[in-house]
Amino acid sequence: MVDIDVDAGPLGEMTATEQGVTAVVVAFGAVLLFGLLSGRLAPTYFLFLVGLAGMYALLSLGLNSQWGFTGLINFSVAAFFGIGAYGAALTTASSSPVAGGFNPAYGLVVALVAATVLALFIGLPTLRLRADYLAIASLGLAEVVRRVVLNERRWTNGNLGVRGIPGFFDGWPVLSTFPEAIPGLRIAVPLGATVELGEPFYRMLLNVLLVTVFVVGSYLLLSRVHRSPWGRVLRTIRADEDLARALGKNTYRFKLQAFVLGSLVMALAGVFYAHLNLFVSPATLEPITTFYVWVAVILGGTGSTRGAVFGGVVVVVLREGTRGLAGLEGIPLDAPSLRLVLIGLLIVLLMRFRPQGVLPPQRELIWPDVVDEAPDRPETGVREARGDGDD
Amino acid sequence: MTDTVLRVENLRKEFGGLVAADDATFGVERGTITALIGPNGAGKSTIFNLVSGFYEPDAGRVEVDGVDVTGLEPYEVADHGLIRTFQTPRKLEGMTVREAMLVGPQDQPGESFLRLFTAPGAVAAAEERNLADAERMLERFEIDHLATQPATDISGGQTKLVELARAMLAEPEILLLDEPAAGVNPTLRNELVAQIRRLNEAGTTCLLIEHDMEFVMELADPVVVLDRGSVLTQGPPETVQGDDRVIEAYLGGGA
Amino acid sequence: MAALGLFANGLVFSSIIVLGSIGLSLVYGIADFANFAHGDTMTVGAYAALVTLGALGSVGPSLFGLPAAFFLALCAGFVVAALVAVATEKLVYEPLEIGSIGLLITSIGVAFIYRGLVQMVFSAESARYEVRQLRPIEALIPYGVRVTYHDVVIVVTSVVLVGTLHVLLRYTDLGRKMRAMADNPELARVSGIRTDRIRLVTWVVGGGLAGVGGVFLGLFNRLSPRMGFNLLLLVFAAVILGGIGSVYGAMLGGLLIGMVHEAMPLLSDLGTLLPLVPDAVGIPVGIEYAEAVAFVIMVAVLLVRPTGIAGEGG
Repeated sequence: MVDIDVDAGPLGEMTATEQGVTAVVVAFGAVLLFGLLSGRLAPTYFLFLVGLAGMYALLSLGLNSQWGFTGLINFSVAAFFGIGAYGAALTTASSSPVAGGFNPAYGLVVALVAATVLALFIGLPTLRLRADYLAIASLGLAEVVRRVVLNERRWTNGNLGVRGIPGFFDGWPVLSTFPEAIPGLRIAVPLGATVELGEPFYRMLLNVLLVTVFVVGSYLLLSRVHRSPWGRVLRTIRADEDLARALGKNTYRFKLQAFVLGSLVMALAGVFYAHLNLFVSPATLEPITTFYVWVAVILGGTGSTRGAVFGGVVVVVLREGTRGLAGLEGIPLDAPSLRLVLIGLLIVLLMRFRPQGVLPPQRELIWPDVVDEAPDRPETGVREARGDGDD
Repeated sequence: MTDTVLRVENLRKEFGGLVAADDATFGVERGTITALIGPNGAGKSTIFNLVSGFYEPDAGRVEVDGVDVTGLEPYEVADHGLIRTFQTPRKLEGMTVREAMLVGPQDQPGESFLRLFTAPGAVAAAEERNLADAERMLERFEIDHLATQPATDISGGQTKLVELARAMLAEPEILLLDEPAAGVNPTLRNELVAQIRRLNEAGTTCLLIEHDMEFVMELADPVVVLDRGSVLTQGPPETVQGDDRVIEAYLGGGA
Repeated sequence: MAALGLFANGLVFSSIIVLGSIGLSLVYGIADFANFAHGDTMTVGAYAALVTLGALGSVGPSLFGLPAAFFLALCAGFVVAALVAVATEKLVYEPLEIGSIGLLITSIGVAFIYRGLVQMVFSAESARYEVRQLRPIEALIPYGVRVTYHDVVIVVTSVVLVGTLHVLLRYTDLGRKMRAMADNPELARVSGIRTDRIRLVTWVVGGGLAGVGGVFLGLFNRLSPRMGFNLLLLVFAAVILGGIGSVYGAMLGGLLIGMVHEAMPLLSDLGTLLPLVPDAVGIPVGIEYAEAVAFVIMVAVLLVRPTGIAGEGG
């Protein structure tokens, strides 16, 4: 996933960390490949995991443009994820209590509009406040959203959730019939069992296609705006908001824009989730989702777009890995508790030993084409070896 | 015929019963380097924050170039041509020096999210121009060798020079300097004096707060003396220096 | 009549919130960050009491319908929560060289570790203290007040603890230093106060009170690993309402938030309660939105008066 970084040069130009990350990613890919080829990992499940990783990458990209670019402590990631999922679900599902059955494309639009409204609803009052107030207020308002979804059964089915969500490509020409049209394949893999690639596999493949489009689109958009003068103002706000104000920047407006932008990307993740899982429930709005995404962003490197993608992938490994670990015989632990402790430890250890994350942004960010020769990279990365010293 | 760039009238600000600015009135004439001095707690920083829009005054009026800017947001005050610096600027993490410089220019098309996509050509052109300006400005301040250094890796004094250079990219009518010499080593301090004088000779009006009296006497004329939130006296540095009330204020109010 | 009953319930719930909010506010003022692990410190206290009570059994004389062992368990809740808070300060927060935002994020991690460990040991299921369930006090029922002796214990103990803290803050040297540091940490450091010691005392007091609050929350409702985190937002609401760093503000804020939380049913028939307002007037909000209303009040206060109702301007 990190390979889509447009800036990454050949191996020789990478920093030690980048080489390390690449090695880990390659090793991990090899393990997965081995799993696939030996028949231990069902191809459909593998694709499902890739889909989840893409989803977390999206969420991290969204949060990164709020916290990483601008320094906004948004603890309502789950609310935007949930509103995206519910927006898509309620518009398209057969069991929708509102007005279901629409084409998923409409669901996407509804979800994005709903997320914008929610972002303005949360952002307008809180973005004028101190950074830590935003943290508390956004967590509180996310809880309000969760309560509303849980209690307003007329609109949301309450804790029954919404079932009967179609796949994203249902009703599209060609793509809607693609999974059935493709003949099933049986492949004898070199390391043992035969692998069957049937309709579910192709359905999942379409999902992966969808999330790839979302991730790549968001990634390109966010990388571009990050290195623009607009992104530069955001980064100034993160470092010293008063300075940005003194230099004539309307910081409230910039913060609101970044907040809405990030929220839209998170809602996109929600839309994808609804069509991946085909069922949404108020559990999607649990605050724990918010903090998974926080871990992903801090781990990847605050403010680093490729780091956010990397962090998203690691979080999925962590989530699914704890499930596997707790499933093993002889380990008397339940997965949720273990996950909580691991997430907690990861946050604490990162803040202690590597607050700048694994892949901090290191390159000068000036609008492309303006600087012809790539600037000499500073001896140390711009953020390398330095605490995240904002207070 | 005088030409007042900044006019402060009867400015007043209280914090929980404590009067920080009390009917302060003074003006800054175009082309001068005016200094605002006074003992600790005299209200210098409060006045700066009131003038630049960071605090809202309880009463009084601030005019920049004849336009009433009282109660406006800092960015609006900046739009009217008043740019301020900070006593201890925080370093712009993750940026190189020239990137940090590029925050200075006003009204950049690339600062509008929409125009990044509707007018990428204009954004690139402006960026190119601004980068050239920034590098020229760094040269003028004789810190162009720092251009691609991380902004977090330069010394405190160099940070002050960068801040000054960046403020100039905003093409201010009047520049407010908050303790420019604080925490700067003697060599760079002389450098700062020279640079501020050069800016002034090139037509920039300055208002500065400074504790370093030598620095003030070297640069400023006139000097405005604050005591307990109001203006005690003002005039040429020599006159102010010899004023008994000023000496008394410093002796009485100083810690 | 109904109003009186709700007021009584509000008082009980407020006591729990106040115990939580005082510590959170102290830590916010003195250690200078929003401690998101404070709610889970309450959980730790509650479960420490559960273990103690389980070990001691319900032996001994009974007081207000509670075995003597319960009061020992209450002390255990205070001590364990305080110890955990101090250990966390020493192991986690103190070595960090990051600003208050970094500490805030770290505290989320700490919260998850507390909760995850509690959940590992005690499972995610809810639990109860092994004490006899009481009926409401007969004498008060005619007034529409349905409180048990347990509730009385909660209120009385809270008042005693808050009173003790008041004496500590007002009349001892340590308390004066704590207040000075909460007001202006920089000034306190310059004026030679040993700030690291004050910080430690703050964690003891804050953590301990949170522990007691947690025990009472477990007595009032049930225990579950999420109990503290679920209450955290209400506690934050109380702290912000009262003004960050202000202990007395936290008390006032806690009282208000607790009251609002329990008095929700009144909102729907506001008209019948207020003079000059038509009976039909009311805000039809279900009790399931009690927390939501409290947060909305908090955000509203933040907008109108960011320093809180008891805080000083600027």
